Amino acid sequence: MAQQKVEIQVEDHEGYRVLRPTGDLDVYTVGSLRDALGKMIEDDSPKVVVDLDGVPFMDSSGLGALMGGVRRMREAGGDLAVACTREQHLKLFTITGFGEGVSIAPTTEEAAKGFTE
Amino acid sequence: MRLSLRYKIVGGFGLLLALIGLLGWVTLSLFASLRSVQTEVFDEAVPGLVVADGIVRSYTAQSAAVRGYLINPRPELLEQYESETETSARLERRARPLLSSPSEQALMADLIRAGRAFHEVVDEEVLPRAAAGDRTLAFSFLGEQGDDAISTIETLGAQLRTAQAQVMSDSETELSRRSTQTLITLSLVTVGALSIGVVLAIVLPRRLVSDLGRLVDATRAIGRGDLDQRVDIRSGDEVEELARRFGDMQAGLKRLQQLALQDRELEIAASIQRNLLQRELPKTPGVRLVPLQRQANLVGGDWYDVEADGDSLTVVVGDASGKGIGAALLATVALSVLRAERGQGAGPRRIIERANEALRDVIDPDSFTTLIYAQVDSATGEARWLNMGHPPPFLLRSEASPGKPRGLYLEGPRNRVLGWFEDPGLEETVARLTRGDRLVLYTDGFLEAKSPDGETFGEHRFAEALMRLCALEPSAIEEELVREVERFAAGKLDDDLTMLIVEFQGASVRESVTTPRGEEPWHSKR
Repeated sequence: MAQQKVEIQVEDHEGYRVLRPTGDLDVYTVGSLRDALGKMIEDDSPKVVVDLDGVPFMDSSGLGALMGGVRRMREAGGDLAVACTREQHLKLFTITGFGEGVSIAPTTEEAAKGFTE
Repeated sequence: MRLSLRYKIVGGFGLLLALIGLLGWVTLSLFASLRSVQTEVFDEAVPGLVVADGIVRSYTAQSAAVRGYLINPRPELLEQYESETETSARLERRARPLLSSPSEQALMADLIRAGRAFHEVVDEEVLPRAAAGDRTLAFSFLGEQGDDAISTIETLGAQLRTAQAQVMSDSETELSRRSTQTLITLSLVTVGALSIGVVLAIVLPRRLVSDLGRLVDATRAIGRGDLDQRVDIRSGDEVEELARRFGDMQAGLKRLQQLALQDRELEIAASIQRNLLQRELPKTPGVRLVPLQRQANLVGGDWYDVEADGDSLTVVVGDASGKGIGAALLATVALSVLRAERGQGAGPRRIIERANEALRDVIDPDSFTTLIYAQVDSATGEARWLNMGHPPPFLLRSEASPGKPRGLYLEGPRNRVLGWFEDPGLEETVARLTRGDRLVLYTDGFLEAKSPDGETFGEHRFAEALMRLCALEPSAIEEELVREVERFAAGKLDDDLTMLIVEFQGASVRESVTTPRGEEPWHSKR
């Protein structure tokens, strides 16, 4: 099956960027998010907040892309935080333990405050 | 604008038809021209000549008849004179329209005038004198005036013949000239038409045949298994379109070839995975184990493992993130480490630590594994497990008791997924099962099944279905649950479904729960 795409908007903020994916994040679409995160590192902009308000569904592939993103951003001297109010995703973060050690907050501004230095 | 092959062929034939039409027109017009010269000769010059001769002959005959009458006055000679007079008059009338040139018409007018002069001499001088018996004087008039008129008539007749002969000579020359011209024109037009026809007949089909020949060569190459031969045709017609579609077909065949190769590789991977996964469950008196696995693809990330050692039964249900080959490889790594460490006598905590290290070392940063590593004492019903980022087990009680729900999620202390954290946590949950209790272990494929509206099946529907189906045999519960999930997702399940029901059949033991933290580990999600 050809890789499907999820629309991702990129916003520049003071000291970090916000990625806003729109659509389901699953095994078929997660490549777009992975590519976008890779580009942040290429652009030497490794501090990123991923806003999940436009993502109604996320499976383990989507969570895997976020976890891989955290690891890569930290290796590049930055960090990845998550802005999310969707209960379903927050539940997934709790079950898997992703929420521990990664900044997760309802708004992008609050999430950005939790970047590890 | 694209020139289609149809228009090219129609255009070619049209041009050919136009050339044939032109050839026909030229031929007809040239023959018409020849015909006009022929008409000039046969319809005007020759009859003109004949009539002029006839007139002169008639006057000569009239003169001879009158002369004979003067010598021997027989009435039939006079009748012959009158008859020839009518003949000359008739021929003179016929001659007018036959003579087209003004000089010939002037000669004919002079000839008619001379003829009238001759008739005046004969009718008014000669014949009255002859009738009066004075033949000598009549002869004298005929010799003096009549012979002059006849002589003039003969001279004019000769001039007319000469003129007509000239007309015929000119016409012959003209006929010859036009014939030659016709031959040359017809030859040139024929050669031109043939040349253009040959060009059309050779060049157009040659290009078409050459392009089609290249396509045929490429088709033969496909027959030999060579899918890389490119056919670049820029003819601007259906053949170019055909070549483009042929290229698409080549690309499609190549993709199919690659897919077939991938399918073969997938089958190999699936075979390896089938061999690795639990095939036969160990006999465990006191505990009944009923597994179910439904894979979304040939290979997947879900797995389970069971081992019995005396009264101790180890049950593991795992789920590697992602799907397909990547998830299957991840599952293989986890399962291999698990079995290897257990074979060396390591305890659950050590096994989990080693699995985490192995997964962190081997896998890409986007992948992780969740699992529940449970041990059940088949004699006492004590169950202990490490939940590594996995959905919590569900307990279906053997029978309803007042104040307690029939089924509930067993939310013990949480640990984190394997393959990502340096320290995923190793806190254990402990529960006591009573006779008939069923511990349901499962993967997130049930919870994350998505309806066409985008809604997930979720924990609430899952718990409700389990409790509704609890009177059934474990295998029936599993099958019915899978059917419900498939119905919910309208048959489109993207994730694997794995479930393992552990039914405790041993002695009834009082339910009690302890955790290292001393917290209540069983929470109802309802």
